[in-house]
This record gives sequence, structure tokens and C-alpha cells, in this order.
Amino acid sequence: MWLQIKLAIRNIFRNKRRTFIAGFAIGIGLAALIFTDALVIGMEYNMIASATESFMGEGQIHRKGFRDSYDVEETIVDPEDIIRRLGQEPMVAHFTSRVLSFAMITSPANVSSVTMVGIDPETERHLSQIDDAMIKGDYFAGDNMRDIVIGSKLAEILEVDIGSRVVLTVAQAHTGDLAQEMFRVSGIYHFNIREMDLAMAFVRLPKAQQMLNLDHGIHEIAIMFKTETFGRGKSDPFWQRYSQNGNVAVPWTVLMPMLAKSIEVSQFATFLVGVILFGVVALGIVNTLFMSMHERMFEFGVLRAVGTPAMAMGRLIMFEAGALAMLSIVLGAILGLIVTYIVMLTGINYTGIEFAGVTFRKLLYPVLTFKQFVIYPAVVFVFTLLVALYPAAYAARLSPAKAMRRSF
Amino acid sequence: MSETGNGNLIVTKAVTKTYHDNGVPVEAVRGIDLTIAKGEFTAIVGPSGSGKTTFLNVISGLDSVTSGEVWLAGRKLSDMSGRELSDFRRDHIGFIFQAYNLIPVLTVEENVEYIMLLQEVPKDERHRRINEILKELGIDKYTNRLPTKLSGGQQQRVAVARAMVSRPSLILADEPTANLDSKTGAELLDMMRDLNEKSGMTFLFSTHDQKIMERARRLVTLEDGVIQSDERRE
Repeated sequence: MWLQIKLAIRNIFRNKRRTFIAGFAIGIGLAALIFTDALVIGMEYNMIASATESFMGEGQIHRKGFRDSYDVEETIVDPEDIIRRLGQEPMVAHFTSRVLSFAMITSPANVSSVTMVGIDPETERHLSQIDDAMIKGDYFAGDNMRDIVIGSKLAEILEVDIGSRVVLTVAQAHTGDLAQEMFRVSGIYHFNIREMDLAMAFVRLPKAQQMLNLDHGIHEIAIMFKTETFGRGKSDPFWQRYSQNGNVAVPWTVLMPMLAKSIEVSQFATFLVGVILFGVVALGIVNTLFMSMHERMFEFGVLRAVGTPAMAMGRLIMFEAGALAMLSIVLGAILGLIVTYIVMLTGINYTGIEFAGVTFRKLLYPVLTFKQFVIYPAVVFVFTLLVALYPAAYAARLSPAKAMRRSF
Repeated sequence: MSETGNGNLIVTKAVTKTYHDNGVPVEAVRGIDLTIAKGEFTAIVGPSGSGKTTFLNVISGLDSVTSGEVWLAGRKLSDMSGRELSDFRRDHIGFIFQAYNLIPVLTVEENVEYIMLLQEVPKDERHRRINEILKELGIDKYTNRLPTKLSGGQQQRVAVARAMVSRPSLILADEPTANLDSKTGAELLDMMRDLNEKSGMTFLFSTHDQKIMERARRLVTLEDGVIQSDERRE
């Protein structure tokens, strides 16, 4: 056995150039897979972060039906109890309460339809990035109930600036009566997300509740978890616990099905890339092994003639394939690490580009994972051995007389 | 029943071998009856295409016969499975090839050791035999060299060592001097004849080489797959 392993390792270095080229070709396949996977994971993280950290959160609780109708009367049932229980959940990092309503915003110059969002500025700070996106004024400094924070596009349309007066008009719950309140623009943000910059206006929660005649009612509780992946699981009992008494709790994958689907598609695309790359790698391995075998056909005949069993001949080819795979894995892992690391340092700038309903807000950085350097190389190794079964079987079946036809 | 019980190592009975060359049947060996006793030093001679190679192939079990029987060391080759034939060749036949055909990535010592590893000879015994045979053939100072670093004559000596070290009953050699200059070839043949006398191993050559013919104790001449003459010399 050891002699065969020694023979295999020395054999693959008989034609160093060919072995290196073959190893490099397989290695490039592995490196491409590592890089693609790192990029897809980076893109997933970026898109999820862009979607969940901007405003949405990783999960939300509403009154059942509210997300479809946006009916202001559909407030969460027993919100105090839910807020108390959420505060005791170990996996919940932060949560905040919101009130949402369609509204009309009017300035001396123009009018626009918006979503009025009543927020608690302190808890909202942990859920959304409005405070980080401020370009003018303050994010609810002090306790003035008539402060309003709007997006840059909306400010542009209304032709308002910090200190300008605007009027919000909403329809009250139960009666449908119109309620109007004047606000003073205290802050302007710029998310680089058109919908948020154009069609949202943030006011303090009690003011919004008062305008909508909701008493202490709220429409939405947005949640951030301690680990991002928790928000991906629809089946966790957490969602059932908070989907009771007429309320419904859903993760971001339900809130943004397009994003969830596009991530699934990305993962499938990575799988496809893997299959194609492995297919190319397989042909490369079989070709290399056969070229090497045909060059040594007489030698194989000699080995069989002197009593090397057929199985041992097959094993020799498997060992050679294994040695080639190991070399390729080392080359591929190093190459994949270098290329990915370089892009990790520089990042890819897709900011402002919208994809699957999400606008990239940060540079895209590939993400290196354990799987890329353990699972993928292991798959390459096993795959190489699998495709080597064909040349190995060919070598095992070789008739010594046919192999040595050149001589006796 | 053994056909080689009376001191005979090889017995062939009406052996024929027919190949198909592009669909055309070619009778390479036609009804050869031959008996070779243990310890003989025999050359099979004949022009190209006379069937020497084919005959050696069927004697060694590298190729099957179309009809007839081959008995070697008391065993009928056609009754053996592929694995049995492989083990039988390993234990009973030493091969020497025209182009030496050492394994180029193994050192001299490892080349000679290879068959003993297949035979699972204990390590100490392997090294004792390797040292002994390399010394006897005058190549003990090249133990750790790769074959490519040796001259043709030295490589062929290593091939002889590899063939003999497993102590087979029969050494089959295909044109062993064809790639050597006449002086080196003559030295190799003298050495092999000396080994034949000392060890009692049976040597069977196929050759065109006049030097081998001169040194052979028995000369079997083949022509068109048939034995034309069988001459014994002393």
C-alpha cells in the first residue's frame, strides 16, 4: 500500500508541467467556487442588512390583516403583554413600536402623499438607521411633539428645509374623520432608497397615536434578533408564540418574499456554478489520468506481468487521482483565498443599485467561511476520486499482453 | 495431474494462437509441442513475425491460447483465474524486457524490492536478498539511484536482479541484449549463464542475437509459428 502511495505521488510529478497545469485548472475551478460562494454570501448579507437594518427589522408583529389593508383601526391586540414578553425573549436584541398611516403632507409650495410613521425615537434608533442617515438637522432632539423628520426627496418636492412648517392630514380610526396637525421639519435624512427618501414622514409615537385617535394602540412591532440567521427561520416556535389572539408575527423572509426568493436563486446559482465547474474539473481529471496512462501503457503491462494484481493497478490510479486532487486543492484554496481577500479589502461598489426590491447601501464584501475551505475541497477530493473510478477500472482491466504489444 | 512431474518445467501441447488483425485472422503459433526441463538455458530464435513473442506470451500466461495446453511448474495455465495467473507469474516467473522497463520513479533498490513487496516477503529478508543480488551483479553502489541515472547495461542488470530476486522457477527474457552494445551484451549473457549454473533457474530467451544463440545450451528455431528445429548443445 505504501509503495503504491509512494509510486502515485512520484508518478504525478513525472511530468511536472502537465501535472501543474492540470492541478492549476482544477484549482481554478475550486478557487472560482470559493470566490463565487464568498461573493454570494456577501451579497446575501448586504441585501439582508440593507433591507432589515434600514427600517424593516428582522421580524415584525402586526394585527392579522393589517399588512394587506393598512387599516388604521387594525392595531395589535394586547400590545403591553407582547412588549413585556418580548423583553424576556433571549434571542431578541431590540424591538420598537410603531404606528403607520397613509397621510397627506402639505407645504406652502407643494403637497405629497406619504406614510406617516409614529416612532419611539430611543428604541427606533436600534432598529432603523434613520439617525445615521441624517443629512440636515437632528434626529428628534429634545421632546418637541411637533418635530417631523422627512426624507431628502420629499423635502425637495415640498421645497422645505430645517425649520419649515408642514401640515400632515390623516384619517382617524373608527370615525374616518380627517385630522390635521402642523409640524416643523427638524431633520432631513437621505437613505439613497427612493421609497424611504420620498414617501415617509416620521413623527413621535404619542403624537401619531393622538392624531389617529388610537389611544395607546400600535400597528407594528419591529424586532432585531441577536443573530441574523434567526430571522430566516419561519418554523421557529417564536413566530407561533406571537401569532396568537388575532396578531401575526413574521420574519423578514415573509415581509420581503422577493428578497428571500432571490437569495434562494443565488444559492441555486452557486450550486449550478459548482456543478458546471465540477463537470469541467471531472473532464480535466479523466483526460489527465488517461494521457498519463497511455504514456505508461507498456509500464502498466510490465507491472501486471510481474504479478501486480488488477485491484492494485486500479488502486494506483486512484492514489494518483488523490494526489492530483490534493495538489489541486492546495493550489485552488490558496488562489481562492488570495482573490477573495483582495476583493474583501477593496469591496465592490453596488451602492444605490436596486436588486430584488432592495437597494444596496454599503459596499459589497465577499465573506469567507469554513465551508469554502473544508467542505468544497472535500467535495473536490471525493469528486476527483469518483471520476477517477473510470480510468482506475480501465487500468485494472488491462491485459498485460495488450498493454505490452510493442514487445513480447 | 501434473504434466511437468519428470523434471520438466514447461510443457506445451499443440498450442495454437490466432489473432485478429483488423478482422483478419492471423495464426501466430501453430500447434507447438515443446518441453523445457528445469535448469535449462534455452533460446527461441527466428525472424520477425515467426511467433516468438506470441509463444512467450502464452507460456507466461500473459496471453491465452486459442487451443492446446500450457503447463508450467505443474499447473495448467488455462485452468487458472486472472488473479491466480497474476499470483502465479509473481511467484514463478521473472521477466526481463528488451528496453529494461524499470519503473523510472523508483530507485534501483525499490525496483528490485517491488515484487517481494507483492509477495509480502518480510522486510529483513527483502533487504538481505536485495543486498545479495545487487552485490552479485556488481551494481550495489547504485542502490539509491533512479534508473535514468544508469547506463543501459547497468539498467539491464537491475532488470535481471528484479527478475531473479523473487526466486522464480523461470526467467523469461525478451531480446535482453537488443539495446546493449556487443561488449555489454556479452558480459550480461555470461553473467546470466553463470546465474543459471549457480541457481539452477530456468532461462528462456527470445532473440535474434547471435551471441545469445552461441551461449544457449538449447536452440529452438521458430518459423511461421511452427518449430523448425530444436537443437541441444553442451
